[in-house]
Amino acid sequence: MTSEIEYILSKIETDSPIHAKKLKKNFAFFDEPYYDFTTPFLKKYLALLASENKTLDFAVACYLNMIADMNSETVAFFRTGKYSSTTFSEVNERVYANPEIMEYYMHGLLLSQFLWKHHYDSFRFFYENLPKYVDNTQNYLEIGAGHGLYLNKALSVFDEKTPFTVVDISQTSIDLARKFNTNNKVAFVVKDIFDFGDSDTFDFICMGEVLEHVEEPLKLLQKLRKMLTSGGTLFLTTPTNAPAIDHLYLFNNVQEIRDLITEAGFSIESEMEFPSEQASPEKIEKYKIAVLYGAFLKVK
Amino acid sequence: MKELLAQVNEIFIDVLDNEDIVLSETTSANDVDEWDSLSHIQLIVAIERHFKIRFTSKEIQSWNNIGEMLTSIQDKLNQN
Ligand SMILES: C[S@@+](CC[C@H](N)C(=O)[O-])C[C@H]1O[C@@H](n2cnc3c(N)ncnc32)[C@H](O)[C@@H]1O
Repeated sequence: MTSEIEYILSKIETDSPIHAKKLKKNFAFFDEPYYDFTTPFLKKYLALLASENKTLDFAVACYLNMIADMNSETVAFFRTGKYSSTTFSEVNERVYANPEIMEYYMHGLLLSQFLWKHHYDSFRFFYENLPKYVDNTQNYLEIGAGHGLYLNKALSVFDEKTPFTVVDISQTSIDLARKFNTNNKVAFVVKDIFDFGDSDTFDFICMGEVLEHVEEPLKLLQKLRKMLTSGGTLFLTTPTNAPAIDHLYLFNNVQEIRDLITEAGFSIESEMEFPSEQASPEKIEKYKIAVLYGAFLKVK
Repeated sequence: MKELLAQVNEIFIDVLDNEDIVLSETTSANDVDEWDSLSHIQLIVAIERHFKIRFTSKEIQSWNNIGEMLTSIQDKLNQN
């Protein structure tokens, strides 16, 4: 463990010992590639924080705010079996358009990227497969980049000349992603993806954890299908049973995600499931434990 | 309290899927390996269902051990 990670965990432990307990279990699984990724990443992140006169304490406070939100959403979810938000406009107003909430949310999510095993594993699935797509990609789109970590990785993998576009509905997300990625070949667009013109087509679209944020995920997938060139690739991740302040569409299990993908006209090139807890499939089903699904898709 | 403790113990065994759990009033999350953040919430909701009560978020965050949890449950049952 690096000293920064130890510091982060000890801070979290002071505030929430049972949450720290869960995080510590993850570290038993983290191997060398984990530290190869995390060490330079944290260095970069600390520099970003410092440029705004912030420290790791700010990031940890953000993370704990996010966890507090998730805990109350989880209690409500286990009580009712439903996500608490139902309309996009309500979430847009309360979350995406609210810089205060969105700022702690995105910094919190960024920390989760290396504190949570399933977030780290899904990110690794993405970047280890990405090089396969370099040759066939003339232009790249990311939807809902949030903190901008995936974008950061993609920029380092693809050709200097490949144009990048990033669409996100939240100005706060765009600002953070831009700070994280000072590369000036990226076109940042603040827009609802449903309002983004589909006259432009892309060879590669990356959409991490956005599908569950829309009321009609089938419509979104159908739109993306039109925005892909023939032979193009869509990488997506989306969770089952993951209550959060901005989640609308509940996937009860991974098969529901696959069915939707097929219905929208995609075929699955490769896929992975990342359970949020180390539990048996029976237990995951019984206790509605979140599973993050990730896949590279092709137009059928 | 004895009777309550026995019922809560059963719920812990079921939710945490570990037959060997033996709770006492001083047991805390440190003593039970499977008792972490997510299972804490699962335990709360299972206890709410079993006793037909509803905790506030303050209560949920305030317990340090089983004894405090039992006191909360007893208070709720007395209110009903
Ligand atoms: C949970 S974050 C995902 C961040 C990152 N992609 C990841 O996988 O960790 C979701 C992001 O999608 C954005 N978003 C949600 N709905 C959107 C929509 N309809 N159009 C564009 N962006 C949207 C949010 O503003 C937020 O930045």
